[in-house]
Amino acid sequence: MAADPFDSALDLLRRLNPKHTAEHLNNLISLAPDLTEDLLSSVDQPLTVRRCKQTGRDYLLCDYNRDGDSYRSPWSNQFDPPLADEGGAGGVGSGGSNEGAGEGAVPGERVRKMEVKANEAFDVYRDLYYEGGVSSVYFWNLDDGFAGVVLLKKSSPQSGSGGSSHGVWDSIHVFEASERGRTSNYRLTSTVILSLATKGATLGDVDLSGNMTRQVEQDLPVDSDESHIANIGRLVEDMELKMRNLLQEVYFGKAKDVVGDLRSIGSLSDGQRDREAQREIIGSMRR
Amino acid sequence: MSSNKAIVSSFVEGAPPGELADVVADIKALTISTPSLLSELGPAFQKYNEEQLATVKLPGGSQPVIVSSHSSLGGGRYFDVESSSSFAFDHATQKASSVQSYVLEGAQADLVKSTLKSLSTYVKEHFQNATYGVYPIENDSKIAIIIVANKYSPNNFWNGRWRSLYIFNPTSGALEGSIKVDVHYYEDGNVRLLTTKPVNSSVSSGSGASIAKEISGSEKKYQEELNRSFTSLSEGAFKGLRRQLPVTRQKIEWDKVASYRLGQDIGGGASRR
Repeated sequence: MAADPFDSALDLLRRLNPKHTAEHLNNLISLAPDLTEDLLSSVDQPLTVRRCKQTGRDYLLCDYNRDGDSYRSPWSNQFDPPLADEGGAGGVGSGGSNEGAGEGAVPGERVRKMEVKANEAFDVYRDLYYEGGVSSVYFWNLDDGFAGVVLLKKSSPQSGSGGSSHGVWDSIHVFEASERGRTSNYRLTSTVILSLATKGATLGDVDLSGNMTRQVEQDLPVDSDESHIANIGRLVEDMELKMRNLLQEVYFGKAKDVVGDLRSIGSLSDGQRDREAQREIIGSMRR
Repeated sequence: MSSNKAIVSSFVEGAPPGELADVVADIKALTISTPSLLSELGPAFQKYNEEQLATVKLPGGSQPVIVSSHSSLGGGRYFDVESSSSFAFDHATQKASSVQSYVLEGAQADLVKSTLKSLSTYVKEHFQNATYGVYPIENDSKIAIIIVANKYSPNNFWNGRWRSLYIFNPTSGALEGSIKVDVHYYEDGNVRLLTTKPVNSSVSSGSGASIAKEISGSEKKYQEELNRSFTSLSEGAFKGLRRQLPVTRQKIEWDKVASYRLGQDIGGGASRR
């Protein structure tokens, strides 16, 4: 049985150099145009920053705040460039469901209110954890609740100390909240794209780039729209802590261990002798 | 059509260590309507195998040998000094066949053999699973020295490759080349370590033993430097991107988040310092 082309495309993206995901994605789309929509909506790429013309604040672009070539600023709720037909594509009346995430989904009145509060809350979060960077939150209505995406991006510039190193962190947290009376079911899928590079005269070039994705589902009590923001906040905060630890382990622990598996700094025969000597000592202590 | 060939070739050339067959399987599934595309990938497979220093066991042989542009005889045949053989290599299937005796002669034959001998001692002391080779190149004017070590652990979603390639010029004593490390980790993600370290040194005595000693020293120094770079990236760039906890060392009180004020001291200086 032939493998599904979409699965094969995703498998390929899991194997090819993650630093160039955008290029691989374009190549896959030109190779298999049928997969364009599916690939664009399921492959995370580093986020682009744009300045809001109305408020002067930076916001992040993704498929969820896009309508054609325009993007909606979470700070002003305005599209840039403005949508050609204001009444049509974008606006949805209060409480109206506007399904189909992305494609310029503008949330209804209640959900937009929550979106404004979530942007304020995650701006605080961004400041406390990232001490810089850009955050944006976009919500949209669902039939039985709402969904949203929390985006965070930070670049760390050159840092001296002999060599130069550079890093970029992109967090993409997509959630769905299904409201069930006094509780709400949250399903969160989080991806962090982390790219690090350093170079030096004696070191040469080192590039450590990649992405990791994790999911979590939880039922949490809700007594007001504010408690939705708090629930989502805690979920994202816990997830990012978990993922930061995981990234640290993989990027600096696992990668280094594999290099050590390929080549041993110490002599292998000395290591062997040491292990044998140790076994002998343990053996003699048992006797 | 030619652009599709270029795309698919770039996928082949970008295959991580030990994952060429997986990449080819994906390409097959994606190009099911144009199966002929795969048969046009010969040059891409050859480039991949020669650049990645593919290793292959010869029929009847016990030790793997290296496929590289420096051991190429042309016409899809390669030679190996240690086993005194030449062989045909199928770049698509990575299989060797038609083994023939190949006796090394010429001006560098002695240097090649003595370097092989000394290199063998070094490689055995520091690599669990490495293949190495030494080849006369450029009309017997120089020798190429290659070490390639692979470790594949697909069940644990990681694979790694260490490649060293040096060119020694007996006339000038220059030893030039590079060390490259490639590590892929892909459990619920895709993380890649890619490094390149140019080596420019010289070996005045020009003996096989001193060449191996110089290589041993450079590689030890490089691995120590690389290990330090993991620490400095972790302590530097990584820490600078996102804190593990806010300065207060406490998680956010989300019920009170509306009362937090940006850039103000929240229990002791959350603002940028």
